[in-house]
Amino acid sequence: MKDFVKLEGITKTYKMGEVKIHAVDGIDFSINKGEFVVIVGPSGAGKTTVLNILGGMDTATSGTITVDGADITRYSGKQLTSYRRDDIGFVFQFYNLMPNLTALENVELAMQICKDHLDAKEVLMEVGLGDRLDNFPAQLSGGEQQRVSIARALAKRPKLLLCDEPTGALDYNTGKSILKLLQDMCRERGMTVIVITHNSALAPMADRLIKIKNGKVSEIKINENPVSIDCIEW
Amino acid sequence: MKKKTLRKDFFMEIKRSLGRFLSIFFIVAIGVAFFSGIRSSEPDMRLSGDAYFDKQQLMDIKVLSTLGLTQKDVQEVQKIKEIETVEGGYSIDALCQVYDSKKVVHICSILPTLNAVNVEEGRMPSQAGECLIDVEFIKSSGYRIGDEITFSSGTSESITDRLKHQTYTIVGTASSPCYISYGRGSSLIGTGNVSGFICVPEEEFNMDVYTELYATVKGAKEEIAFTNAYSKKVKKAEKAIEKIKTAREKERYDAVVKDAQNQLQKAKEEFERGKKEAQVQIEAANTQLNSGKTELENAKNRIASGYQEIDEGSSNLDTQQEELNRQYMEVVARSAQVEEKENQLAQAKELWALFEDSDKIEESIKVEIRNKIAEAQAQLEDARSQLDAAKAQLDYGQQQITQGREQTKQAEKNLEKAEQLIPSKEQELNSAQQQFENSKKEAEEKILEGEKKIKAAEEDVSKIEHAKWYIQNREDLPDYKGYGENADRMKAIGRVFPVLFFLVAALISLTTMTRMVEEQRVQIGTLKALGYSKVAIAMKYVGYAFIATIGGSVVGILIGEKILPYIIIVSYGIMYQHMHVVLTPYHAYYGFMAAVVALGCTLLATGFSCYKEMKQQPAELMRPPAPKQGKRVFMEKIPFIWKRLSFIWKATVRNLIRYKKRFFMTIIGIGGCMALLLVGFGLRDSIVDIADLQFSKIQTFDATVILSKDATKLDKENTYDALKKDQRVEDTTLGLLQSVEIVNGDTKKDVYLTVPNNIDAFQRFVSFQNRTSKETYHLDEKGVILTEKMAKMLGVKKGDNIVIKDDIRGELSLKISEICENYVGHYLYMSPKLYEKTYGNLPEYNAVYYTMKMEDKDQLESVGEAVMQTKGALSINYTKELKTTLDKMLGSLNVVLVVLVVSAGMLAFVVLYNLNNINITERQRELATLKVLGFYNKEVSSYVYRENMILSILGTILGMILGRLLHRFVIVTVEVEAAMFGRNINFSSFVYSFLITIGFSFLVNGVMYFKLKKIDMVESLKSVE
Repeated sequence: MKDFVKLEGITKTYKMGEVKIHAVDGIDFSINKGEFVVIVGPSGAGKTTVLNILGGMDTATSGTITVDGADITRYSGKQLTSYRRDDIGFVFQFYNLMPNLTALENVELAMQICKDHLDAKEVLMEVGLGDRLDNFPAQLSGGEQQRVSIARALAKRPKLLLCDEPTGALDYNTGKSILKLLQDMCRERGMTVIVITHNSALAPMADRLIKIKNGKVSEIKINENPVSIDCIEW
Repeated sequence: MKKKTLRKDFFMEIKRSLGRFLSIFFIVAIGVAFFSGIRSSEPDMRLSGDAYFDKQQLMDIKVLSTLGLTQKDVQEVQKIKEIETVEGGYSIDALCQVYDSKKVVHICSILPTLNAVNVEEGRMPSQAGECLIDVEFIKSSGYRIGDEITFSSGTSESITDRLKHQTYTIVGTASSPCYISYGRGSSLIGTGNVSGFICVPEEEFNMDVYTELYATVKGAKEEIAFTNAYSKKVKKAEKAIEKIKTAREKERYDAVVKDAQNQLQKAKEEFERGKKEAQVQIEAANTQLNSGKTELENAKNRIASGYQEIDEGSSNLDTQQEELNRQYMEVVARSAQVEEKENQLAQAKELWALFEDSDKIEESIKVEIRNKIAEAQAQLEDARSQLDAAKAQLDYGQQQITQGREQTKQAEKNLEKAEQLIPSKEQELNSAQQQFENSKKEAEEKILEGEKKIKAAEEDVSKIEHAKWYIQNREDLPDYKGYGENADRMKAIGRVFPVLFFLVAALISLTTMTRMVEEQRVQIGTLKALGYSKVAIAMKYVGYAFIATIGGSVVGILIGEKILPYIIIVSYGIMYQHMHVVLTPYHAYYGFMAAVVALGCTLLATGFSCYKEMKQQPAELMRPPAPKQGKRVFMEKIPFIWKRLSFIWKATVRNLIRYKKRFFMTIIGIGGCMALLLVGFGLRDSIVDIADLQFSKIQTFDATVILSKDATKLDKENTYDALKKDQRVEDTTLGLLQSVEIVNGDTKKDVYLTVPNNIDAFQRFVSFQNRTSKETYHLDEKGVILTEKMAKMLGVKKGDNIVIKDDIRGELSLKISEICENYVGHYLYMSPKLYEKTYGNLPEYNAVYYTMKMEDKDQLESVGEAVMQTKGALSINYTKELKTTLDKMLGSLNVVLVVLVVSAGMLAFVVLYNLNNINITERQRELATLKVLGFYNKEVSSYVYRENMILSILGTILGMILGRLLHRFVIVTVEVEAAMFGRNINFSSFVYSFLITIGFSFLVNGVMYFKLKKIDMVESLKSVE
């Protein structure tokens, strides 16, 4: 499916007194359904802002975003919440698990508000945490926590899985395994996955690579033959 | 200038976090203001009272005497070295008309300097016949300035015996330091209840001696009223007066007796004189009467002799007539003889005539014959003239006789007339006699009466009771003690409530400072890493807290110690309307105490949190804190419950237990709020209800008439009968009411011993029951029933023995058979049989209890007045009056409590807000995650609210327990000795407190909703805090 996600002229301007800061300065790109997209750029380039706007956590100053045919830039606050709830899965750099809930419960928390969800246990098993269901986040390693976080996002069966530096707080191997998991999910389930990273070494694994610099898209590259993360070293 | 930058950072910190700084500042200010303010209220109340009393020169000591007090007494008291000034005054109780009824007023003289009255309106009396009237009384009596008011004595004596006028013109209204509130004392006349006072100049009294003396004690003015120092000085002076008392009493008694004897002597003399005079008069009257009698007798005699005389004269006349007649006869006979002779002579002459011319006869013979004839003629003529003379004499005699007869007749007539007068004279005499008899009898009676009177007077003189001095002080003034008690109650309140405020303030500063230190963890770590000492780092936070606390304390003290006592004294002013003085000086002691405690709380809290952070290594500090571990809660071990909880509830339960500090603080905060509200409502229940409970459930009679001790048995019976027969009275019963001292161990207390005449009847007037079980007790001869508060004060319970200390019979031990519910006063109930057994004699009933018929309740006073007219009644107490006084007294306390509780609730609200605020800030990340996951605002807030509501409900449960305990504690501390406040809290109060607390909680949640809505997902997810 072409143009499953489409961004047109997205800008985000912060006003700091008299000064206007353009965090995002006119971004256009589109993504097809089932693609594994990597957005790379240096710190402060505006990639997280784009992701936040795309995820309905933030609003654009101008421009339109269509997701699965719907213009989310026209959404009200409540519609945005529903959008996050039904269409989007987030994976954060710092996992953002509820410290007070077990792995299973963290997944269940997301499912609580979702009509068409997967079975929490199965998802957790799928991410390889079948034996850590009843552990609290504090009892899990970073990688394990991120897996829970991914499971939580997947369980909702989102249209889009948005990952903001998912390996930023993890060691090399763990990070790799997490990326592998994300790639597998994309491949196996046909999920549209967008990963933000500042590590350009990850570029080869993407179906579509979007480079962002100074709030603008500097390059979009379609990878006809993406490689598996296992083959990438950095 | 080693730490210049650190110092700069410190001030920057304050500037940057001004909100936090101010929150500690104000919380401390409020806490300190309440603590020092309410604590200061107690001394300030006393000070204000004292200043007012000093300004009005209120006496310290009052001396009353049964025989009055003389100028000499004044001088003698003045001589006592403890006494400053002494002034004598007059006062009487009188009746005046108020609408349809007669009210008792206390008329007193205006003293030169002491007990100065305040003219509220109008002016002081300046002329004879003018008076000042009680400003409170004038409101209810319908009199106005300029009106005339007429007094009557209420006894058999005339009011003008004591007062110069009967009617006075009201020229002004006044308030008096002797009557600071509504109470006006009691009286022996009228309804027995004084309604107001009247002030007149001294000269308006007609009495020779003062009725009372007022004195001030040296140095007492300098002391604060209602303090021990003051009462000590006064007690000392009282003792000094006590010393001269006996001598003065004797002198006064002797003087009165001597006076009376002198008067008696004079009266006796006068009587004697009068008696003598009367006797003399009687004698004279008697003599006169007797002479009258003799005269009448004489007159009668004279009439009789007159008749006799007339008879005699008559018969005399008769004899004279006879004689006359006889003489007439003789004259007639003689006349006949003379006639014959004349005839003879005539014949002779004829013859002669025949012969004469005859010369035959010699001349000589002729001559001779002629001579002879002439001679005969002469003789005859002589005889004739003699006869005529005799006849004339006889005729004269006859005339005289006739005259005599006529005279007799006249005399007879006169006599008859006189005789006719006799009966009327006799009658006159008789009536005079009667009159005399009567007046004699009267005089005799009078004399007898006089004698009797003299005898009675003699007896009276011998009966003159020894003068008795009553030495009183300010505490005997109505409501004076109450003011002190109110100050004491304020003290008790000051011990409870401000502490709670403090606790709350400490809680706030603790959480705030902990949060601050935790927030600045990284900074602390950096400083530590840079090599600053722990103390130098901690100083920033300690200093921060110190400055906020000191600033808050100073502001709190400055404002609190001025405003709160002012508010409290002014709200008490509802009861003490004319005490215009409000003094609220600063009390360094309370201020210092409050500041020290506040400092202690905040510094300790700060130090504690600093210590916790400081303990860690710099590296650790620079990393984010290890997230709190999720933990399984005990409830998970009960699958029965756990399984049934929905997922979201499970999360809630875990969250609750995870944040233990918040859990407890919120519960304590809400619990405190609930507890305070419950105490507030509960106090209203317990205090406001006691008057109602006491007088509509326990003592149900409308009034008690106390019988005079000196009255005869008949008089007492008459009084009782008068009540019994009154159509408006529903029910009456007799009892003995007597104050006795009871002892248990070292505790001695005064209590009213009550012995009902008829136990069954008495139970219609007073119910003996258990407070909690409502079980009714019956009075029997096995033991006594004691009222609850007294039992508690003595530390005795059912089955124990108590001892009555009797002056004559010594110690009488009695068994307590039951303890009964009672709220006002203390009573010891005993059956007549037990009384007889204990005291060895029958009880002398001296109290009549009565209840009015439902429809005649408004006639209560008029029944009372009627009873007071009877000789046997001494005084009367109306239940209604007691209830009103009690209501008024406790009502003002209620106002103060409401103020306190409302403020406490507000503070609790602040705590809740603060805690919630911190809660949200702490969990911002978590909440943001929820938002990102697509939770609607409503769902996010309900995630928080769910916890809050559970905490609120748990808090209210704790609050109920805490409130119950606190209520009990407050009740016991604010309770006065003479009364037991209810221990109950009505169910409705629980409901109200609960609803208000939950309402607060909702309000806080409502405010929080906006804060939750404002949480920025992007910002909060950027990094770990």
